[in-house]
Amino acid sequence: MRKSNLTSLPAKPPRNWPLWISVVGFLLAMTLWSAHGIGFSLFELVCNIARGSRLLEESWPPDFAFTPRLFQPFMETIFIAIIGTVVGGILAIPIAILAARNLTLGPLVWFVDRNFMNILRTLPDLFWAMLFATAVGFGPVAGALALSVFTIAVISKLWSESLEAIDMGLPEAIRSVGGTWREMIQFGAMPQGLPHYVSYALYAFELNVRASMVLGLVGAGGIGMILKTQQANFEYERVTMIILAVLIAVLIIEEISEAIRRRLT
Amino acid sequence: MSERALKPPVQRIGWATWTTFIIAALFLISLWAIEFSPKIMLQVPGKVAEDLKAYYPPDMEYGWNAVLPAIVESIQIAWIGTIIAAILSLPLALFGARTLFPRVARVVKFISATARAFPEILLAIYFVPIVGLGPFAGALAIGISSVGMLTKLGAEVVDSIDFGPVEAVEASGGSRILALRYAVLPQVLPEIVAHWLFRFELNIRASAVLGVVGAGGVGGVLLNTLSYRHLEKAAAVLLLTIIVVLAIDMISGAIRRRIINS
Amino acid sequence: MSENSNASRAGAIRFSNAGIVYPNGVVGMKNLDLEIKPGEFVVVVGSSGAGKSTLLRAINGLNSLTSGKIEVDGQPVPEGVGRELRELRKRVGMIFQDFRLVKRLTVMSNVLIGRLGHVAAWRTLLNLWPIEDREIAIKALERVGISDKAWTKASDLSGGQQQRVGIARALAQEPAIILADEPVASLDPVTTHQVMQDLVRINRELGITTLVNLHFLDLAREYGERIIGLRFGELVYDGSADTVTDKDFEDIYGREVREDDVLDEDAV
Repeated sequence: MRKSNLTSLPAKPPRNWPLWISVVGFLLAMTLWSAHGIGFSLFELVCNIARGSRLLEESWPPDFAFTPRLFQPFMETIFIAIIGTVVGGILAIPIAILAARNLTLGPLVWFVDRNFMNILRTLPDLFWAMLFATAVGFGPVAGALALSVFTIAVISKLWSESLEAIDMGLPEAIRSVGGTWREMIQFGAMPQGLPHYVSYALYAFELNVRASMVLGLVGAGGIGMILKTQQANFEYERVTMIILAVLIAVLIIEEISEAIRRRLT
Repeated sequence: MSERALKPPVQRIGWATWTTFIIAALFLISLWAIEFSPKIMLQVPGKVAEDLKAYYPPDMEYGWNAVLPAIVESIQIAWIGTIIAAILSLPLALFGARTLFPRVARVVKFISATARAFPEILLAIYFVPIVGLGPFAGALAIGISSVGMLTKLGAEVVDSIDFGPVEAVEASGGSRILALRYAVLPQVLPEIVAHWLFRFELNIRASAVLGVVGAGGVGGVLLNTLSYRHLEKAAAVLLLTIIVVLAIDMISGAIRRRIINS
Repeated sequence: MSENSNASRAGAIRFSNAGIVYPNGVVGMKNLDLEIKPGEFVVVVGSSGAGKSTLLRAINGLNSLTSGKIEVDGQPVPEGVGRELRELRKRVGMIFQDFRLVKRLTVMSNVLIGRLGHVAAWRTLLNLWPIEDREIAIKALERVGISDKAWTKASDLSGGQQQRVGIARALAQEPAIILADEPVASLDPVTTHQVMQDLVRINRELGITTLVNLHFLDLAREYGERIIGLRFGELVYDGSADTVTDKDFEDIYGREVREDDVLDEDAV
């Protein structure tokens, strides 16, 4: 390619080669290493398409006759979600407030609470379910406890960030006329924070209904337990039925929840 | 002035109180339905405390030998799953922007809603019989599941951009595809990549869990140790998981902030 | 900019009884008969909503006619989207009030966008611009006097500088026609005059047909050759800038000339 003989431009700043190469190199290396580690193989994928379509055939049509047996476990799923949301929602309130830089009791408290909250967030809900199932036995109680912890994690993270963004005018005014910390929170911060809280609580409920679907896979109650037995017996038409039924229910619940949340904001 | 005038008028029962009543009622019904009794409630803290003693001290030798490889596998699963989802979701997000492609976007929205509906673990249940037990099934499950969410978020980002430059490109004779490349992508890429990174953080947690259905990763190890009540080993699993996830969260969060601010 | 391409450049525009009625019933253009010869410098004035933008955007197909005809160099402006329309748009450059640069890209990349219609798609998708097109872009930058900022990110420029990049982008197309839709409305007075002078100079040196929408009447008088006045989508004035009077402006606007209709308060 002929080089241009126009010289009116300033020199083009050179691309930051070291940065580019290391980023691209890292991405490539990570991808290749991971693909190798998990046994990724397009070949396998293509070969197994036949098996895949056979599985899809076996899974369809869903076993509608199975539905009556789903009712009770499904209600159990809902109950677990309710308990988890309520308990977790209540416990999340102090945790979230103390994790908000502008509302907390002091730097040490904030630090401890913030890290506590982050640690709660690291473990997936199924891990909590397994832990509680080991401690208090299999069944819906374990699931409810697990979801409570999960709910604390979800709500406190979202709500503490939202609390950090409120207008501090009124809380500061309350402090300056001699109000206690509790009064500042209750009368200064809560009026602004409560609508968000309700919205996040509803969101947590949606997540919990979904989550409690699968908690049963580790024995923590709800419809997941039936799912597990059916899957173990390779009754894929029933598995599909369960999943379908739950998905529809979840979608309905989410619609209702969204509608309520929209009315709030 | 009489004292009565200084008191606030009696408040009627507002909807907030009603809502609290309803929630409390639902709560109590649920407790009763799952046969929760005060006896159980009193036992719970005791049992949890008992277990906690058994978790200490964590068996770190087991940790290095058995747990770390499993955690590495979970990371790999999450990585590949996120890469698959990122590659698939980018074009889908572009075509799913109803401001750019009003008709196609509806189809894309439907696809992404369907993909989003399935928790990864349920997809894994289907993938395991297809490609066999192991992390490959897990990566595929995570990939498909994440495509839904990334497409939805990506389409929202595209919908929110400034369309002036798009029109300018087309007014100078460029096709829509070129407008995507030169006017849309430069505006949306940083935010979309940040979404990918956040998705990776979430997928680590998801992949950790997949081991429960045999799709690889640290979840299977945890399930094992708990089933045999080898609680010190389980403690090692938890400890290492927490540390690794926190580290990844921090690094990924820092990178995300750098990208958004570039 | 290669002077040889003058030969292929024409830039005649003809509206024949053109009309545009928007889906919501608003009339954007009504019974418009207008002929513009190649190389003319035309200023379009009118109050807000009079149809100035509609007129310009009909020429490059951003607005479609609902009645009548519009032709560029004898060819009707194609409807819909497609190859033909893109071919026409390659020859018509547009400058916008809000500049419409891609903020994250450099000035150079933004100007090269003007060449998109002329370069093979696979090349532009991979950002492999041929040397000839890059030289055209460089010359366009020189012509508006902003080549020293070639590698600056567009968002780091001032409003006036951004508009000059917008002009360079249009120039890079080597167009027959330039449409400037309120190009100076967002600029301060000093930069406004600079940009208007650039447009006049480009028109004189390169012979590109130029249509400029303005809402500052003193600018119209100062820089225009021919002035077109629109009111409610209809052509109500067509005359020379030398002979236009304040009364003519009042007729176009349907009211008295106000302070915010002129750039310099002294001109009122």
